[in-house]
Amino acid sequence: MQILSSPFYGVSGSFESIATTTVAAGGTGTITFSAIPSTYTHLQIRAFGQTNRGSVSYDGAQMRINGDTASNYSAHNLTGTGSAASSSSSLTTYMQLPWVGFGTTTGSNWGGSIIDILDYANTSKFKTIRALGGADGNGSGYVTLTSGNWRSTSAITSITFVPDGGTTWSQYTQFALYGIKG
Amino acid sequence: MAVTHKLIQTITVGSGGSASIDFTSIPQTYTDLLVLYSARSARAAVGDDVYIRFNGLSTNLSSRTLYGTGSATASYSDASVAYIGYAVGDTSTASVFSNGNPNYVGSTNKSVSGDVVSENNATGATQQFAAGLWSSTAAITQLTIYCLNGNFKQYSSASLYGIKNS
Amino acid sequence: MPATYEPIATTTLGSTQNQVDFNTISSAYTDLVLVFNGGVTSTADIWLRMNSDTGSNYSRTRLTGDGSTAASTRNSAASSIFVSVGTVGTNANMIIHVFNYANATTYKTTLTRFNSSAYTAASTGIWRSTSAITSLTLKAEAADTFTSGSTFTLYGIKAA
Repeated sequence: MQILSSPFYGVSGSFESIATTTVAAGGTGTITFSAIPSTYTHLQIRAFGQTNRGSVSYDGAQMRINGDTASNYSAHNLTGTGSAASSSSSLTTYMQLPWVGFGTTTGSNWGGSIIDILDYANTSKFKTIRALGGADGNGSGYVTLTSGNWRSTSAITSITFVPDGGTTWSQYTQFALYGIKG
Repeated sequence: MAVTHKLIQTITVGSGGSASIDFTSIPQTYTDLLVLYSARSARAAVGDDVYIRFNGLSTNLSSRTLYGTGSATASYSDASVAYIGYAVGDTSTASVFSNGNPNYVGSTNKSVSGDVVSENNATGATQQFAAGLWSSTAAITQLTIYCLNGNFKQYSSASLYGIKNS
Repeated sequence: MPATYEPIATTTLGSTQNQVDFNTISSAYTDLVLVFNGGVTSTADIWLRMNSDTGSNYSRTRLTGDGSTAASTRNSAASSIFVSVGTVGTNANMIIHVFNYANATTYKTTLTRFNSSAYTAASTGIWRSTSAITSLTLKAEAADTFTSGSTFTLYGIKAA
């Protein structure tokens, strides 16, 4: 059996940084990765965030792919609330992702997420997303594993994130896109 | 300058399907291994269980799993197999494949960390954390993932990466 | 210039030891990933600390499965992030992600996957400090120790 090696194993191995967005002062409503190259096999997004959803302590993200705003998304969550394990679902016009933001004040608590999309450019498959995320607030918090699906066989060329409850991502929020060669 | 995550091999299932995905002759030059898999089972159900085994052996395996279904949560254990996740079955929404990353860590007894999800535009979606263990100090030269009830369908794929710690 | 994902340091214990420190961590990366494989000698927890801070500046929320029950618990105003669950035993592994560790403006967030013969778990933790992280410590609770042969590896991930 021939063992295939990545031709890109040089300086960066099979895991390479594609693009990074860090929110500047004033915040921003939408974070976008566009013109995503099809030269990788998988994608990973690492997010560290906060939104302006001030009245509620935690927030999530709405993820859309290729600008699709139709009801082509589903998502299910396994969540720890600090007191119970729970599970929920969402079938709507975006993929609802775990808690990536918290509060409004710099220096307060921030959420983190790792979002994996395998075979993102494969035109024989719908796109399945796996996301692990959480935010802790010293007396409150959530940790969540989310499954998501975009019902399209199109290759992914763009991804957007908007806050689920708030309207803007806070300054210093960062979303980083990585490509993994397969 | 050291790098990690070096692709060792990618296997994609062809039109006839496959009972398993096998990585053989795994080089011994890495510290840890990572598998990324995208799988669909031919089982006529919403899903199928996926297991891992090493060096072609089916003994000294165990696992512990935590999962959600979109409406309920549960945890269970296996004393004779290393369960690592779920594959979408053939009655689920067409063209949907599971997304998993069994990450073997270790050089003495072999412990596995798995985060696997399967989706469905309705019921039958799962989000799973799995802890697997192969109680053997033997070096891993072969890694196999397989479904309990059906074959992997065409376009199922798995990529094996080696991770070096220095 | 660092590669995108590269090892920073690694330690394999030749004998039992109470804690392992990664000091003078370069600020050149975006995220850190700390991988542990091994065990502890007693029923101790494993603690994570940043910059040797022993104040009550840590907390975490976790989700656990023990093979029969799914549960979630919280630990607040603690002197460390408790990253393990229950009896760690000798066949445990753990992957800890630390986001934006060198940011001198925000609190520091972690995501941890922990696995043992008794549990699988995920947790999120926070260190309530805006200081950039320059050291990480994994410590066995109280006077307990990590087993000989346990490995600890720190990786850095650099965003574009």
